[in-house]
Amino acid sequence: MLARNLLTRIWLTFKQQRFETIAVTIVCVGLTVTALIEAFRLNSLNVPLSCLQSYQGGYVDPYQAPITAAQAHCNDLAKSFYDLRQSLDMSLVQLLLLFAPILAGIVVGAPLVAKEIEQGTAPLSWALSGSRRRWLLGKVLAGVVLLAPLMLAVGLAANVLEGALNPSLNPYASFSNYLGRGIPDVFWALAAFAGTFALGTILGRTLPAVVLALVVCFFVRAAWDSGMTHFVLRSFAVPQSQESQQSQQQQGYVVYGPGGPAYADLNIYYRSYIDGREVTDAEVNAWYNQNMVCVPIAVPTPDASATPDYSNMGNIATACEAPTIDQSHFPQQILYVIPGSWYWQTVALESGLLLLGSLFCAAVALFRVERRRPY
Amino acid sequence: MGAGIGASTISTVSAALTAHGLTKRFKRKVALDAVDITIAPGSVTALVGPNGAGKTTLIKVCMAFERPNAGHVEVDGVDPWKHRSEALRRVGYVPQTPAVYRGLSVEEHLTMARSLHSGFDADYARRRLDQLAIPLDQRADTLSGGQAAQLGLAIALGTRAKVLLLDEPLANLDPLARREFIQVLLDAVKSDGSTALLSSHIVTDVEEACDGLIILGAGKVLLDCPLHVARTAHRLTDSETPPPGATAVGSFAGKGTKRMTLWRLPDAAASGGAGSPDAAASDDDASLEDVVLGYLAAGRGTFGLQLN
Repeated sequence: MLARNLLTRIWLTFKQQRFETIAVTIVCVGLTVTALIEAFRLNSLNVPLSCLQSYQGGYVDPYQAPITAAQAHCNDLAKSFYDLRQSLDMSLVQLLLLFAPILAGIVVGAPLVAKEIEQGTAPLSWALSGSRRRWLLGKVLAGVVLLAPLMLAVGLAANVLEGALNPSLNPYASFSNYLGRGIPDVFWALAAFAGTFALGTILGRTLPAVVLALVVCFFVRAAWDSGMTHFVLRSFAVPQSQESQQSQQQQGYVVYGPGGPAYADLNIYYRSYIDGREVTDAEVNAWYNQNMVCVPIAVPTPDASATPDYSNMGNIATACEAPTIDQSHFPQQILYVIPGSWYWQTVALESGLLLLGSLFCAAVALFRVERRRPY
Repeated sequence: MGAGIGASTISTVSAALTAHGLTKRFKRKVALDAVDITIAPGSVTALVGPNGAGKTTLIKVCMAFERPNAGHVEVDGVDPWKHRSEALRRVGYVPQTPAVYRGLSVEEHLTMARSLHSGFDADYARRRLDQLAIPLDQRADTLSGGQAAQLGLAIALGTRAKVLLLDEPLANLDPLARREFIQVLLDAVKSDGSTALLSSHIVTDVEEACDGLIILGAGKVLLDCPLHVARTAHRLTDSETPPPGATAVGSFAGKGTKRMTLWRLPDAAASGGAGSPDAAASDDDASLEDVVLGYLAAGRGTFGLQLN
């Protein structure tokens, strides 16, 4: 009986929030389908990984032998891949995928209580319901039931797209854009939902709750990465393995163009050492200033008879070295990372933190609903 | 007795609703000022007063929507602020503005009420709506004001609550809708034996429906007595010469240019009631509207009784 009543309230909540429910469903389904289509377009180019790795972005090295027809074809394929990857519609889809969870959470969460207070229907419900907690539970569950499957679909589609965008990476074993795809999408949406829901309960007005939630959510989202890196993931980071470094260098070639290279590992921090002693960046700089000797270098040109021209060569017109010091005494930098293989553990940790935040916001909403006036 | 409620929750119930020293302030404004009322079970009591008198606040305190600053209230023996769930099980509430869910049909409102209120009698509410030919499949936001008010009343009645609190439900209704509303209310009270507190400022309507009268003015109870006492224990004159032994209550502008004065007769003042409900009202009796106007004038300090 209780379960049936709860299901009834969930269904009626959907009907009360008909516009928000339909709008969020349409947008999320549309976005999922669009992301899958974009991934299909990239995959259907069938560009070999080697072509992507060897592609120089259209730059022709004047010192290399002329390229073969096969290499030219390879470059064409890679170019079409990168063109599509950097196209406006692809960027738009990626942007929407990034913000969809937060926006959906805000749209669904804001009116749940605030609209009842605005439209004066809260007294009707609260007079009927001895327990406002139970009334609130129906509303919260309606939001969760709506958002969780939709965001899961969006997140999984984003994973498929991520795999297509970075063919050398396994989306489930890499941290490339890991908070904007997959399972975290569900928890971002729930956190935004719970936060906005709490704001709507406190303010009792839908629009101010939406505006404030937008500001708060985007601030939290922007600060999340560095916050996690500095305060949470730091204690889990391990020195990057040599294999991973090499693999990372290879992967770096794959991602060409805006956005920079995508790596499997999540870089957390690095430490520098000189002769086994940990040193600061300033000490490393001081070491280089003291020991490095920089000299201009002669760059051969295709035409051996021509005079080398350094005017446009920038930094590479000089070469620095420490001729008297053995390589083993050079400053060493060790990168501490969360290895890509820890993807699921890290996602579980961050999703758990988002869930905790959501539960906290729900508790705030409950506390407020228990005490507030229904108008 | 409901689950989770101890014997100590419910005081010995001799009144459907009681308030003792009930005070509610909104910042500096005193909405209720040490209000004492007692409403007998099975009665229909009119709560009358001008806007801002504290009628809505009194009902909201009874619904645990507002927390009193002092004093306490009991609904069917339960303090709503201390035991909200138990108190609300005993109360059916009709709000001032008939607020309905825009996206829901009439039937869905009943479904929602059933899912929120254990023991909600949807069939009973449905029958009431059927009697008024209100289509159950109609969207509630397309109902007329009168129909929406009837829906609110049907939901309140469907709770089969012992106490009905109606916060100016007649205010926005046309005369026919008001009459129908009161008819449904009276039928229900009669058949269920419940108690109703009907807040209104339309005196003529409550005159037909109610057997008790509470006049509130500036947060104070100006008069609390059976309705027939209110009529028979007062006289209205256009002179300042009092009827023998009477005390002036208040003076107000009458019809035309005359200034009218309401007088309270001595035996009524002494006993708090005069005659029986069945006693026929005489031509000399003040009308209920006159009584209300006289007390409201007194509440505003025009002149007359020293009201605490």
